[in-house]
Amino acid sequence: MNHTVTFTLPNTLQPLSATVPTGALLTDAAHQAGVEIGQPCGGQGRCGRCAVQVLQGKVRRRSTLRLSPEALAQGLALACQSVVEEDVAVFVPQQEKLERNLTTDRIASAVQVPEGYAFAWSQSIRRVAVTLSPPSMDDQTDDWSRLQTALRSRHKLEKVTVSLSLLRRLGERLRANDWQVSVIYNQADPSHILDVRPLEDPNAPLYAAAIDIGTTTITFWLVDLITGQVVAQAAEYNGQIARGEDVISRIIYASKNGGQEELQARVVETINHLCEIACKRVHAHPQEIIKAAIAGNSTMIHLLLGIPATSIRLSPFITTVNHPPAVAAHEIGLHFCPDAVIDCLPGVASYVGADITAGVLASGLDTTEDIALFIDVGTNGEIVLGNRDWLVACACSAGPAFEGAGVVHGMRATTGAIEEVWIDGQTYEPTVRVIGGGRPRGICGSGLIALIAEMFVTGILDKAGNLNLTVPTKRVRQGEHGSEYVVAWADETETGHDIVITRVDIDNLLRAKAAIYAGFTVLAEQVGLTLKEVQHMIIGGSFGQYLNIEKAIQIGLLPDLPWEKFKFLGNTSIKGTYLALLDAEQRTRIAEIARRMTYIELSADNTFYEAFTSALFLPHTDLSRFPSVETALVK
Amino acid sequence: MPIEIPKEKWTGKVRVVTLGATAAEGGTRTRVVTVGGQACMPFLHFEHPTPHPPVLAIEIKSRPPTDWSPILMETWGEAIRNPATWAAAAEAAGAEMFVLWLTLEDTPEEATQAVRAVLGASGLPLAVFGPGQAEKDNELLVAVAEAAKGERLLLGICEDKNYRTIVATALANGHLVSARSPMDVNLAKQLNILITDMGLPADRIIMDPTTGALGYGIEYGYSVMERLRLSALQGDSMTQFPMLVTVGFEAWKTKEAKVGEGVPASWGDWQQRAIDWEIGTAMTLIEAGADILVLRHPESVKRVKAAITELMTA
Repeated sequence: MNHTVTFTLPNTLQPLSATVPTGALLTDAAHQAGVEIGQPCGGQGRCGRCAVQVLQGKVRRRSTLRLSPEALAQGLALACQSVVEEDVAVFVPQQEKLERNLTTDRIASAVQVPEGYAFAWSQSIRRVAVTLSPPSMDDQTDDWSRLQTALRSRHKLEKVTVSLSLLRRLGERLRANDWQVSVIYNQADPSHILDVRPLEDPNAPLYAAAIDIGTTTITFWLVDLITGQVVAQAAEYNGQIARGEDVISRIIYASKNGGQEELQARVVETINHLCEIACKRVHAHPQEIIKAAIAGNSTMIHLLLGIPATSIRLSPFITTVNHPPAVAAHEIGLHFCPDAVIDCLPGVASYVGADITAGVLASGLDTTEDIALFIDVGTNGEIVLGNRDWLVACACSAGPAFEGAGVVHGMRATTGAIEEVWIDGQTYEPTVRVIGGGRPRGICGSGLIALIAEMFVTGILDKAGNLNLTVPTKRVRQGEHGSEYVVAWADETETGHDIVITRVDIDNLLRAKAAIYAGFTVLAEQVGLTLKEVQHMIIGGSFGQYLNIEKAIQIGLLPDLPWEKFKFLGNTSIKGTYLALLDAEQRTRIAEIARRMTYIELSADNTFYEAFTSALFLPHTDLSRFPSVETALVK
Repeated sequence: MPIEIPKEKWTGKVRVVTLGATAAEGGTRTRVVTVGGQACMPFLHFEHPTPHPPVLAIEIKSRPPTDWSPILMETWGEAIRNPATWAAAAEAAGAEMFVLWLTLEDTPEEATQAVRAVLGASGLPLAVFGPGQAEKDNELLVAVAEAAKGERLLLGICEDKNYRTIVATALANGHLVSARSPMDVNLAKQLNILITDMGLPADRIIMDPTTGALGYGIEYGYSVMERLRLSALQGDSMTQFPMLVTVGFEAWKTKEAKVGEGVPASWGDWQQRAIDWEIGTAMTLIEAGADILVLRHPESVKRVKAAITELMTA
């Protein structure tokens, strides 16, 4: 039996409706009606953020765990847990929006082309100019044989293959260009033709892409294979966030009816959008992109390729594939050249993916003589310890806080983000530095680290992260969502609203830093090392353009070691992906890193949990681990 | 053949904490309670004498409870009508101190009145706990602390999200605080650090590590208490506090204590079973290192006290 579900939204005149069978969830109906209802927990009924108000009719509430008796009395129901059994009318309240802010990383840092890069030597994509003799009544050779002959005689290409999709376009391409074309192929045995285009200048750009699919942020680099240069960069939040903030929620969402397809579509949509923006900047067309190297954690890669990720979540935590084969762009819906080679880099295990192997490559951890620790501060924090002889890795779920998500005024490290904060110990007045130099719009990861450190050392925060409401400043106040500190007043901001950090934000950030700290301390313990024995600390992550090491130590994110041991590399995953795109040898090295790395599962016993709760304090429950902070606090 | 009993050598020691102040000390108590001072695991007298045995407190309420077992209501009878008569009855039943639990309905004036009534009815030391809602707790406890300045009351419940006001008022009025954390060694330690960071002397802190009743997670609570005590003996100053456990509160909400009908006959007499549950919970936690046990039934007090006497002389 079918029922009509009508949705009313604020600021919308016409209600939207959908017809669904008995037993459908309100979220299914919303999806069908085109109503966006965020499900940060992936539709498990755990977060309570999809609450809607049932105005008419009744729904069967499978779970009301997150709803107070008052909320229930007002007719509130969790959309992801409410079963439609009759006609209903529903009001969808204004939801907190995750700002998918503009992707213009105009101030993107310049990327060095790897030393010795040569288009014709370093990688396998080739472009050749081919002139064919046109067919006639006397020369009845078919187009494909004609092209093969030309490639064999002029370019010594004995064996070539072609896809059906290119054959469908071949005849038109050759004729439209008067039998003079550029042929782009991937050199191998046999070589594979990727595209046939109007004749291009040998020095004209030949575009490829390096892509890092983070759980929270997707980064896209447009690369000219001829020069090796990164010609445009773009990044934005992963479109999947609305269906789960962490990998586990995403996997759960994907296992629902249509969830897998939806998540696949969302990530592809984000990449296509980034691609368009990057291409526009250099007046290129997405269809010119001939190759892409992609890194991401194992769940992200599975979802991108449309491979079920369910087994990643269930013991014994096994992926379908750690080393996916190359696919063609059109197979997964990317709007590149249809036959563009999509190379998903290899990962190690369910929770140590290609983002970390690419990161290790970029950091050079696999070649150092001394013992080094590589920490990738992401939604899924990944940690690798080792040197050229051995590598061990672990992963810990830190949440998206350091990437600016899950924080009221958090944002990505882009124009308008507060990236550094100082607070006067007497007046409690902040001084901020904003990326791009204008008025602030929000706070990025590095700004959040600095802010918490400064609030802590000036006594605004206690060691548990509670705001001290007795501090004599009007910046500390009781806000809508509990106590908060005002970082910038409305008249100083781009948005016209106060920029604040709330108690809840601080809790999220403390949990994130505790997970990372616990991750690397437990990993070091497991291999019998103390952190003092680690010579180099390499930090990666997309929380800012730089990291204030002193402040990261003050909040207990990083261990209290001499500052010269630390090196901040930013987004190492995209850097490693870029290297693998440009250089076949580096691509082989990534596979070698993946093969050599030993994965340690932290959830095997409660050591990690103990380490986590003891790190859930500023800077740590055991202050003697942070002598420099102890000294600073005494002052 | 002589057997040499191995002895553990510890570097740390639990702090000695005294609750209640006599007239000479600025209060009005005729008796005080001192706990702590252990330098070994519980009752290993051959390693180190136990300077202060566990103390039994009886829980009373500012208003007659509405959700208590009929067994308890019958036992206390008319006494529960007012905190003063209840306190007197509790003292007669063997209490060494009281925990007066305030309710959400109390106004600061009523709370203060209840505290004054108990202090007037008995010379025993007193702990005063708020109803457990941050704002209300702060409102009531500040009033109580000021009204009973100098009495060395034990004020509760301090938690990591709400400790500042209670600690400040304890600091200003010469009281102690009870620091409750949710069954976790690290969280217990963190709260103690926060409280001492505010300047409250360490000999004015009791920690409540939270526990479950027998059959309801007690092994977890036991393990946390044992680890807290081991950490204290190993010299960690932020875990060297005596421990309070709310045994009655936990034991009397179990099915075994609450349900008199429709249970297997082998469960035996309801009243007996309910009391046994409280005693079983208490005795287990005494072995885990509890210093102050908050009980509800007079019979439990009598039998646990007898057991403590045996443990102390064994």
